[in-house]
Amino acid sequence: MPEHAIVTDALTKNFGHFTAVDELNVGVKKGELFGLLGPNGAGKTTTVRMLCTLIEPSRGTANVVGYDIRERAAEVRRQIGVVSDGVSLYKDLTIEENLRLLSTLYEIPRPRAEARIRELMEMFAFREKATRLVGALSTGWAKKAMICAALLHEPQVLFLDEVTSGLDPQSAIALQDFTKKQCEQGVTVIWTTHYMYEPEKICDRVGIMFAGRLVRVGTPNELKHSVSEFSMVEAETPGLSQGQLEKLKANLKQLENVYQVRYKDPKLEVSCERTETLAEEVANALLAVGAKIRSMNTKDPTLEEAFIALTGGEEEIDRFLESAEQKK
Amino acid sequence: MSVASFFSDSIAVAENEFRQFRRNRSAILISLVVLPLFFTVSLGAGQGGAGSTFSPTAHIPIAWVDNDNSLASIRLWETLATSPDFRNLIEGYTEQGAIAQLGTKRIYAVIVVPKGFQNDLENGNQATLILYTDDSEPGVSDQIQATLTSYTQNFDPNVEVQAHLSQIQRESVAGVGIVSKGATFAGFDIGLTIVIAIVQIFAGFYEIAGGISREREDGTYARLLVSPIPIGSIMLGKTLFDTVLTVIRTFTVLAISIYGYGARPNTDLFTLLALSLIVSFVTMGLGFVVAALKMGQRAVVIIEFFLILFLFAFSGLIIDSNLLVGFSQAISNALPFSYAFDALRRTVLLGRPLLSLTFDLEYLIGSVIVLYALAFILLHFSRERLIT
Repeated sequence: MPEHAIVTDALTKNFGHFTAVDELNVGVKKGELFGLLGPNGAGKTTTVRMLCTLIEPSRGTANVVGYDIRERAAEVRRQIGVVSDGVSLYKDLTIEENLRLLSTLYEIPRPRAEARIRELMEMFAFREKATRLVGALSTGWAKKAMICAALLHEPQVLFLDEVTSGLDPQSAIALQDFTKKQCEQGVTVIWTTHYMYEPEKICDRVGIMFAGRLVRVGTPNELKHSVSEFSMVEAETPGLSQGQLEKLKANLKQLENVYQVRYKDPKLEVSCERTETLAEEVANALLAVGAKIRSMNTKDPTLEEAFIALTGGEEEIDRFLESAEQKK
Repeated sequence: MSVASFFSDSIAVAENEFRQFRRNRSAILISLVVLPLFFTVSLGAGQGGAGSTFSPTAHIPIAWVDNDNSLASIRLWETLATSPDFRNLIEGYTEQGAIAQLGTKRIYAVIVVPKGFQNDLENGNQATLILYTDDSEPGVSDQIQATLTSYTQNFDPNVEVQAHLSQIQRESVAGVGIVSKGATFAGFDIGLTIVIAIVQIFAGFYEIAGGISREREDGTYARLLVSPIPIGSIMLGKTLFDTVLTVIRTFTVLAISIYGYGARPNTDLFTLLALSLIVSFVTMGLGFVVAALKMGQRAVVIIEFFLILFLFAFSGLIIDSNLLVGFSQAISNALPFSYAFDALRRTVLLGRPLLSLTFDLEYLIGSVIVLYALAFILLHFSRERLIT
């Protein structure tokens, strides 16, 4: 078993003159939960579709669990599970019937398939819904049904493409927890999303995609702090007088690690280098000028801020989204 | 991929199709009931009205010239005139006068009883009836001759019908080989040859092309493509499913045609079923090719209507393909469906054994192989187009 479950080598996809994925080079370790983050049209789904062997790369290639996606597509398909908007179950069949069909296609012996179907039905608490037509299930249950289908043959790699879109928060959280457990059991998961908070919360590593390019790869923390070493202390302190504010600014500026102080009643923002004692020092400075502190918290840079910084700022993203919309 | 798993995948796809079909009442109704019923009944009604008493010769104006004026000739006239098949026998013409009227559309045939008719019968000799016909409407002469022969044989086995095309009509059809269609067939037999093919074409095309198009739009085709199933198994599975529906539709059309419209196909059930299946396979092959071209469901319906219109124009379904000229003739010669209709007519109407239709069968089976191979190649290479 290779150390990497997925390795791409200059993976590129062109649709006519439009380059959807541009020379993607990434390695995803076995058992890793790897997030692909990017706005709509960034090339996430195209990447997943190439890795799933649904579409062929224009240039470059990739290796999934040791099989080349161009040369050994059938073997790749046996080892992967896919949940994506464009990959659905038969609406006129029950979830169990769908799973039985797939168990034949994946050549799972009948008794083992039946046991696995029962296991999945219990795991996702389908109960009486197991005999309901997929078309009659709610979005959440239909998504669970698709995950069951993707897990049926115990794949080594699971592709979850925008899997939480349309789900209620509870189901989304349950799904995130479930995915983490899958990774703990050795399944490699590629989680694509345009929601910035998801990879930050669950992914071991995140690849930021923009305009078909993989801009940066790292753990959520690495990415956040790769663009800013500053943290922010926010305090709610209403009714500071001009005199109090000037004295406060002077006190705070004396601290070595403070970079900027802004006040707009009642909010005080102090940009500073990260230190463990910073919040305490800001609180002391406020109390020293007789300010009232209603609340206080420390904010690290978010993945969203990192994403914006890494992709060239908000204007660049807006331009990209506009051009993606026009291409549609 | 072993052969066993190839077939087990195909059977799984076919079972899957049946499960979905079973739950879709409108699909069952349209495919197995409405389509066979609609085409059979509308064509049956178009050929003279519903009911087993329908006769294609009943209302054709035919002159009756009795040159013998004997008891036997009068009895024969009564037999014919009171039958359901000759309700428009016209008396009062002389032989020459009646023959002169052929081609004017006032009368389409002249039955002449020659002098000595009764004497010949009384002496145990062969007695002759002379039948002049106008064949400006294809097949009418043969129908009249066949029906008249059956009545005269019942009247007296020694009566023989001598048929003549009028000289004028012989000249007008010179150079065109009119197939002798009507030797023994009953009223709805021609209709049967049309319906049995059209129903399979109409239903089979949509079931394959529309089915794949729906799967593509629903995302279930992509579901199959991310599994290890080969394209060939998907094609075989869908073909197996549609083969069963073809058999059911064939029986439905046959039942309505025989019991509702008095069709008496001059062939056995196996031949009819085999031809019906071959037509269906050609159609399914075409359906797979169209599906590989990434057609939406609406486009499939529109193409289907064009296909049917095309067949009506060029396949010999309505216009005898021998009457087509130039480019039309070339299209007709290239269309596999022309050979299917020809084979159906030769078997159902003329009673020719299936295996004697070597060229028709070769062309049809060749077309099935070519269309399936083309569809396989297209579906294989358009994987990406079909899911994006």
